[in-house]
Amino acid sequence: MISRTLALPPWTVVTLVASLALWSLLPDASLARSTPAAGSGFPLEAHPENASQQQAYDEVTFEGTGESSDALVIHAALDIPYALPLLEDFHRRHPHYSITYRNFSTLDVHQRFLDAPAEADVVISSAMPWQYLLVNEGHAQSIDTAITQRWPDTAKWRQELFAFTFEPIVMVVSRRLEQRLGPVDSRADLLGLLAEARSPLLGRLVTYDPASSGAGYTYAIEESRLSPRYWDLVAALGRADTALVNTTGAMLEGLRQGRYDIAYNVLGSYARERIADDPELRLVIPDDYALVIRRLAFVPRQAPHPGAARRFIDYLLSADGQRVIAEAGELGALHPQLDGPGTATAMRRDFPDGLRPIPLSPGLLATLDELKRTALLARWQREFHDQPVDTRAVEQFSR
Amino acid sequence: MSGDSLHRRLLTWLLLPMLIVGSVVLWRAWLDARQTADRAFDRLLDAASLSIAEQAQWQDDRLWLDLPPAALEMLASRHDERVFYTLVDARGERVTGNADLPGIEGAAQEASDVVYGNVEYHGMPLRLGVRRSRLEDWRLREPFEIRVAHTREGRDALSGELFRQSLAYLLAVAVLSVAALLIAIRLALAPLTRLRRQIRSRDPRTLAPLELPLPRELAELRDTVNELLARMRRVKANQERFIGDASHQLRTPLAGLSARAELALRQDDPAIWRSALGAMQTTSQSASRLAMQLLSLTRLDNPEYRPELAPTDLVQVAREAVMAHWQRCQRADVDLGLEAPEAPVRVQGLDWQLGEALANLIDNACHYGARHITVEVSADPIALAVTDDGPGIPHERRLLVLRPFHRGEHASEGSGLGLAIVDGIARTHGARLSLGDARETPPPGLRVSLLFAEAVDNESTSAHTRSQP
Repeated sequence: MISRTLALPPWTVVTLVASLALWSLLPDASLARSTPAAGSGFPLEAHPENASQQQAYDEVTFEGTGESSDALVIHAALDIPYALPLLEDFHRRHPHYSITYRNFSTLDVHQRFLDAPAEADVVISSAMPWQYLLVNEGHAQSIDTAITQRWPDTAKWRQELFAFTFEPIVMVVSRRLEQRLGPVDSRADLLGLLAEARSPLLGRLVTYDPASSGAGYTYAIEESRLSPRYWDLVAALGRADTALVNTTGAMLEGLRQGRYDIAYNVLGSYARERIADDPELRLVIPDDYALVIRRLAFVPRQAPHPGAARRFIDYLLSADGQRVIAEAGELGALHPQLDGPGTATAMRRDFPDGLRPIPLSPGLLATLDELKRTALLARWQREFHDQPVDTRAVEQFSR
Repeated sequence: MSGDSLHRRLLTWLLLPMLIVGSVVLWRAWLDARQTADRAFDRLLDAASLSIAEQAQWQDDRLWLDLPPAALEMLASRHDERVFYTLVDARGERVTGNADLPGIEGAAQEASDVVYGNVEYHGMPLRLGVRRSRLEDWRLREPFEIRVAHTREGRDALSGELFRQSLAYLLAVAVLSVAALLIAIRLALAPLTRLRRQIRSRDPRTLAPLELPLPRELAELRDTVNELLARMRRVKANQERFIGDASHQLRTPLAGLSARAELALRQDDPAIWRSALGAMQTTSQSASRLAMQLLSLTRLDNPEYRPELAPTDLVQVAREAVMAHWQRCQRADVDLGLEAPEAPVRVQGLDWQLGEALANLIDNACHYGARHITVEVSADPIALAVTDDGPGIPHERRLLVLRPFHRGEHASEGSGLGLAIVDGIARTHGARLSLGDARETPPPGLRVSLLFAEAVDNESTSAHTRSQP
């Protein structure tokens, strides 16, 4: 368990960022802990024995100044290096809040909330179905402020659940491969390369394992909804002996070490920063379509400091907070009035038809349906391994 | 406008029922709006449960469902309803779902029927739709139940909108009907205003009847007023005649006095002066008596005149009257007698008025040539009567003689006020005046009697006197 407490006087920020840069080399903190045991995505029903288990997290704190400092506790699945600019800016604007920021994996942040629903003031996660599930059951309180009311309808649900980032799911391709075989800009290109007899990509691909990674499963189900040709791609991936891993970090490590040439379905926000210093790798937003994940934040009904939570949500959705996101460049600012690099507006302009944000709608609940999941995974295994697979075997495997 | 007005009464009693009817209609509209919204949104439950039910199948020896995400999205309108679903097998156990939705008891047994209900789930009011269905398989027909529910935001918004529309409609109707009501009341009350204006614009001295067309209810009022005016006209005519007669009556003795004085002044003989003075004294006495009579008649005729009556002994009154007149009658060779019981007969009355009445009657009898006059007092019935043996009054003229200044055909003296005064006194005492024949044989004579309504109890009289120290 990594637990680090950082008290931050304003002048220590620079050194802190430097030390945090090391963390980015660690395995993906947000999605990495989708271990097979916890990775089924159903901590509620499937793993009651995990309920009392302590979740692993990193922590950063900001001391509040002034006589009456108010506490603000944020539980998130958003790595500290990405969250830090936001926290620092918020702390500069509202120095009287003592902020405790804990970073969990997506599944742990969910489990932590179920274990202690009155602990956090704000819960942030990129696992959209899980967040939606909690809010649908009435665990969130309504945040009705001028800023939340102006927030676009497609990026919020019931004034309770707010999307504040815009993170496409991308491919990472090695330039050496492209020099040999031509550019890989879309799924069609990929499928074309895979369809060739004696494919040059045999064993050179890597992607998420939907059976053991919550993120991988979410992308799989959304892609299967978007296009029936997804299954052709899965079959082709299977024929090409694609490696299945559980984290973005594992995929990027494989690429850096030259074990793979293409990583399919990588969370763009994490990949962008990690391959920035590697000239051999190129980040590709597929130009046929790209899923877009939006990180969701809500304030629990039992939040101990609802006033502070409201202030923070307001900040996240304000032009100021969104500008900080845009300037950091990784997460993608959703604010409709912001433009330029690192904003959803600019990305939409570059890919007018291709971006497919996962909608904030009850359809997300279907993603979490046990039978649906079993059925989808069965199909996936069948297509991938090109043979009928007994669904019971899939169930056992997922357990 | 004063506190109580016809206008206000009409408005109140017309608006009150309107208000009650309006509230009932509003209440009904609210129920209808809710029902309509429920019906509209229940179709979503119906469609969603159907599209889920279509995906249910038998697989791997168990009930299986490939949940279509679109079915869940169907349940959420733009109001972002919370959505819940459950698939329950034949044994009532949950196969899958995101909530433990309750079933609905007594739901229809027929397949492909959806039953709706309102339930509370974790403090949230939900609309629940339960679809009973069974697998359409070759081998088995496993029954199952799809339960779908969502929160009520969309329904509330729709029913609120429908209700607002009804409310606006009803308000418009209310405004129109109140306006119509105000105009109608104003029109209906217009004749009343016309009547008031006509009365106000009349010459205050005129007693002419009101002439204007009015609706039936007001026409009755107008006719009543006209009757009153007619009565007032008659009273006024009577008064004018009375004044004329009175002045005429007073002028005759005054003229006689003046002539007699003039005649005497031409003579030098004191004896003649003396006799003239005697005659003038007599005339002036009779003139002053006439004036007295007019005065008392005026007083008696005044409807406002309510003298304070006291217990009075009729026997005493009659005795005093006989004593007062006995000497004069003796000189005129008239026999004046009294017939009265020993015990006092008491009535509520004024002794001087009753004495005056007797004086008038005795005078009248003397004037009209009676030789025997009897004053009678009877205890049962209580009556005071004067009987004479004069010529009497024929039946047909008995009402006329009660009018002032009416005199018998052959009479030369007297004012003609006597019986009118007696009549007035009788009315003051609540007694009935009756004129009748005194005898069967002619000349019939005259019997004038005052019948009193009731005696004053001696006991109560004494009690009354005792109570006044």
